[in-house]
Amino acid sequence: MSEAIRAENLVKTFGHVTALNGVSMNVSRGETLGILGDNGAGKSTLIKILTGYHQPDSGQVYVDGEPVRLGSVDEARALGIECVYQDLALVNGLSIYHNMFLKRELLWGGPFGFLNHREMRRRAREALEEIGIAVSSVDLEVGQLSGGQRQAIAVARAVSSNARILLLDEPLAAMGAREARLIIDLIDRLRARGDIAIVMIAHNYAQTLEICDRIMLIQHGEVTYESRAGETSAEELLEIVRREYRAARSG
Amino acid sequence: MADTAVRGGLARRAYALLLRPEASVIVVSAALVIYFEFANRNFLTGANVQTLSQFVAAPVIIACGEIMLLICREIDLSVGQVFALAPFLMENINDVGVPEPIAIVAALAVCALIGLVIGLITIGLRVPSFITTLGMLFLITGLTLTISRGYPANTSGGPLLTGIMGDWAYSEIVWALAIVAIMHIVLRHTRWGLHTIAIGGNIVASAEAGIAINRIKIGNFVLTSTLGGLTGLLEAFRVGSIDPLAGGSNIMFLGVASGVIGGTAIAGGAGTIIGGLVGGIMLGVMQDGFTLQGINAFTFDIIIGAAILIAMVANIHLARLRGSGQ
Repeated sequence: MSEAIRAENLVKTFGHVTALNGVSMNVSRGETLGILGDNGAGKSTLIKILTGYHQPDSGQVYVDGEPVRLGSVDEARALGIECVYQDLALVNGLSIYHNMFLKRELLWGGPFGFLNHREMRRRAREALEEIGIAVSSVDLEVGQLSGGQRQAIAVARAVSSNARILLLDEPLAAMGAREARLIIDLIDRLRARGDIAIVMIAHNYAQTLEICDRIMLIQHGEVTYESRAGETSAEELLEIVRREYRAARSG
Repeated sequence: MADTAVRGGLARRAYALLLRPEASVIVVSAALVIYFEFANRNFLTGANVQTLSQFVAAPVIIACGEIMLLICREIDLSVGQVFALAPFLMENINDVGVPEPIAIVAALAVCALIGLVIGLITIGLRVPSFITTLGMLFLITGLTLTISRGYPANTSGGPLLTGIMGDWAYSEIVWALAIVAIMHIVLRHTRWGLHTIAIGGNIVASAEAGIAINRIKIGNFVLTSTLGGLTGLLEAFRVGSIDPLAGGSNIMFLGVASGVIGGTAIAGGAGTIIGGLVGGIMLGVMQDGFTLQGINAFTFDIIIGAAILIAMVANIHLARLRGSGQ
């Protein structure tokens, strides 16, 4: 497994608040890293630095071993880094295939630049088939899909636009067991491809341990624990969180 | 298994088609035509179809612009005032010696400029378009009254030009249908149209995807004002005189109502140009049909108002049915 992205000693402050205080992480192609932590622990800041939305005060990010500067979302995207948000990504009133090609529409040749609906439909079907997402028709409006299906479409769009470092922000939040299964299976299939690195942010310890190869615990802007998923348990993680919480309160 | 899926798909498509707002409006319009034809033998005569086409044309052209704006969550309340201003611009430009065809183009260019100003104020200064165009509504009325000194005037120009521009009995409806065809293609088959829908549906996702939101909104304001000016010119040539108080809020509301009756969502993100056409036809059929029936003008407004309300309530609930049809 080759390393896809690595961050070293990221520091980010907002005024008096230190959001990240020397966080390092790495994830390889074909690997899924779960980042756990409470609200305000620094998870979102980390993700926003990796997607080029924020720039760190210090620290360095490497993609494929090369140091990179992620100055904007577009720069990160050009390096194959894409974040999939559950609700923000898709336009409900448009069909699945229009969403998958939004701003990357395929056009007929010729002076007028008419949309090539047929080719977009065909490629959207292929892209969904390739990662094993079943929909009855790519003409369905996204608003008619369930939360899990929408999430799957958003992931498919990122993958088909050549994202190779996928950041998933709470991919299973507010989902029933069946819906969650759809996304968990999808993540498994993407990992099995071997060319995609996945970082997912989550709250649910047990679920994250089940899905991910490795997990990282972030608290008050620092990595307090790191382990392979098989070598720890939800109980152990909970105990670490409690200990840190007590230490923070008495300190 | 696959076979039932296909048949299920066909049945669902047929069901979905019937639930489309345009379909229900077409059914209602057809029923109205049948009713009026039985109630009054003059309804489907050549002369009345001509009148009917003139009732329909202007609101439908206005609707084409307003639908684009409504879809991307904007509105233009001042389009009826641009409608009144355009013929005076043309006449004044013509009066200083500019040939009529060029005067027409120049007048439309000024209308486009008004749309640009509306767009820049709305986007640049972050004023809701409802407010921007409410201000423009009064401003342009004053401008038209100043230019015209409050008096009507006559249109000039050779027979060929006036014929093309509205004097020939069917020229306005031909313009309307041509514009409907073009705008339908723009909305359904170009990136411009697709991005207009995307902006109205989810502005955050559109920005994330890199869509030029401001450019598209401003462009749709320019389009709407230009179409408003064109409609004003067509009506002026048809009637043969120009009136500083022509058009106004009445024609604007008819345009907006045509779009909304035809299924354009006031909240943005959805709508069709064809829907605007059938909405305009339905309003025209009612207006013309009840006039032929000799219904009292006061009663007439009550009926039109009620019909618009019923059509809109029906559309909202059909949309809900469509959403839960999965």
